[in-house]
Amino acid sequence: MRSPNALGALWRKEVRELLLSRAFGLLLIAVGLLVGHAFITAVQTYAEMSGAGGGAAALTQGLSPLDGILVPTFGAYDLAATLLLPFVVIRTFGAERASGAWSLLVQSRVSTRTMIVVKATALFAAWLVALVPGLLAVVLWRSYGGHVHGAELVTLLAGHLLRAGISVGIAAALACIAPQPATAAVATLAVTVGLWALDFIAATSGGIAEQFAAFGPAAALRQFEQGLVRASTVVVLVAVLASGLVAAMIWSVPGRRVQARLRSSAGALVVAVLLVGLASRLPWSWDLSEDQRHSFSPEVSSALRSISGELTVEAHLAPEDPRLADLRRGVLARMERVVKTRFVQRGGGGRTGLFAHPDSAYGEIWYSLAGKRVMERSTIDNIVVETVLRLAGKEQPTTGAESTYYGYSMNSEPRYAAFLFFLAWPLLMIAIFWRARRVS
Amino acid sequence: MPHVLHATAITRRFGVIEALRGAELRAETGRVTGLIGPNGAGKSTLLACVAGLDEPDSGTVTMDGVPTGATRHATSVFLVPDGARPWVDQSVAQVLSFFAAVHGAPPTLVAELHDALLLTALRTQRVGALSKGQGKRLLIALGLLTPHPFLLLDEPFDGLDLRQVRDVAALLRTHAERGRGLVLSIHQLTDAARTCDDLVLLDAGRTVAMGTLEDLRHRSGRPEGGIEEVFLALT
Repeated sequence: MRSPNALGALWRKEVRELLLSRAFGLLLIAVGLLVGHAFITAVQTYAEMSGAGGGAAALTQGLSPLDGILVPTFGAYDLAATLLLPFVVIRTFGAERASGAWSLLVQSRVSTRTMIVVKATALFAAWLVALVPGLLAVVLWRSYGGHVHGAELVTLLAGHLLRAGISVGIAAALACIAPQPATAAVATLAVTVGLWALDFIAATSGGIAEQFAAFGPAAALRQFEQGLVRASTVVVLVAVLASGLVAAMIWSVPGRRVQARLRSSAGALVVAVLLVGLASRLPWSWDLSEDQRHSFSPEVSSALRSISGELTVEAHLAPEDPRLADLRRGVLARMERVVKTRFVQRGGGGRTGLFAHPDSAYGEIWYSLAGKRVMERSTIDNIVVETVLRLAGKEQPTTGAESTYYGYSMNSEPRYAAFLFFLAWPLLMIAIFWRARRVS
Repeated sequence: MPHVLHATAITRRFGVIEALRGAELRAETGRVTGLIGPNGAGKSTLLACVAGLDEPDSGTVTMDGVPTGATRHATSVFLVPDGARPWVDQSVAQVLSFFAAVHGAPPTLVAELHDALLLTALRTQRVGALSKGQGKRLLIALGLLTPHPFLLLDEPFDGLDLRQVRDVAALLRTHAERGRGLVLSIHQLTDAARTCDDLVLLDAGRTVAMGTLEDLRHRSGRPEGGIEEVFLALT
């Protein structure tokens, strides 16, 4: 039976449970305070960069509300999704198992799958509520006369929703696998620390760790924070969420042995890995940043798109070498969006330090296309583009203005922000949760 | 024609412990069946296996001769486990109305159970603040709101005082007369004798005897004996 009444009752029950949950209340209060602090600091810093107090203004072109206001303000949500949201998820999925309520629920005619999906959607709604302080900050910023590019804001919000989805997927799975919520909390913390370790290893060693870390929460969110939407990242994040919920279902169905659950989990894991592997190769991406920072000029993009075949870039640079970061983030990230590119990194041991090993080719970057090879040491975008076009036998296009983005200076005080985020929001949350706990 | 729930040759092992060793249980709609046995006899495990909340190592559970299976459990048998304390932050009224909505129970039944189980005064009380007996009455109400032909109650009288045991027993009998099959796991033998039409005697994971109290008296060779005497003779 999946009557609207039953589904409605399940949904209302989940919402009530969230409203009665101290973990969710604390998350909302903490998010308000963190967003408030980040927003006030960001507005003050932005004003200083814009020449507040008689200081020299930065180049307007470098003043982007996305980088200066939105990303730091919403940065609080990354912290909340990493350290607070998992506890709300664990309570939602684990408390009923610990209290015996789950064994009553699973005997109803509503399927376990439906119940898990209802829980996930309730958590999704809860996260949308948690985004309210961030949206209030945007409204305040607009009220000061600040500029917001709609596509950038939507991209950022989508990134934080998907980022939260990873937390929900992992914590839900662990809450259903672990016998007690406390064990699930410890396991979730271990996964978080593991992902941080992966980021660290990827930054220092590159290689396969870097490829995995590119789809980790931090790296994935960074793309959205920069106004870039990659189909591969979106699909992988959704796949992680879906895999977590599938694991939660496998471990929540009553009357199955551990061995059977393990077999089903292994099957689901194989499917998830295959899906992630395929998704990671999806080539589509969209540069939704106002300054088109992930794109070359239309003329250059058009010239690069006309190149047929795969471009191989072989860089003899250590992972910690800043030139490699310049090449990857400053040039190749844009190049990959218009030319089929394969990147090979050599020189893993580095040139300096205890583990240094001699490499006579260190610093060289080789470009290969259709059997032809050329070496260039520079990592400056114009030079790299020129090198690639020369290799492909294409004309260097004549470009117009270097950039049509002029930036937005904004010299304003963060009026009403302290009152709103440090007083009104916490008091409102306390009142709502106190009211909810007072059983009428 | 009553429905018949039949569990046969149920075995369940937890590591080195053999909780059930070929246990059997038979119950009919319209009757109250008592599952009796000493502590550790395997009563709760047998109920969990019958309800599909646990998977037996071997054995079958059928309703009207058809295996209940993983999917049919949800439509044939409902177990109220002992010791559950669901949704501790919500009020009694919220939990009852949620459960009624999920199971499509009519409002008249909810009202009837509020009165019969003395839950009206506890409507606004948080479930986590209920006493043991109050919590047990709430669990019984939840079980009686479900539409399944068979309702299994694990230790339904645990925590209730004498008057409440009598009232709850009468309520359960009323629901059995309306056509439900009730299976009660009870360790207080006098309660079992007072409430149940049929008895299933479980000892060390095996079903020792099944039938009415009269049947058990004959089988034990004590035609005039009380239930405790019969129990001791058969175990």
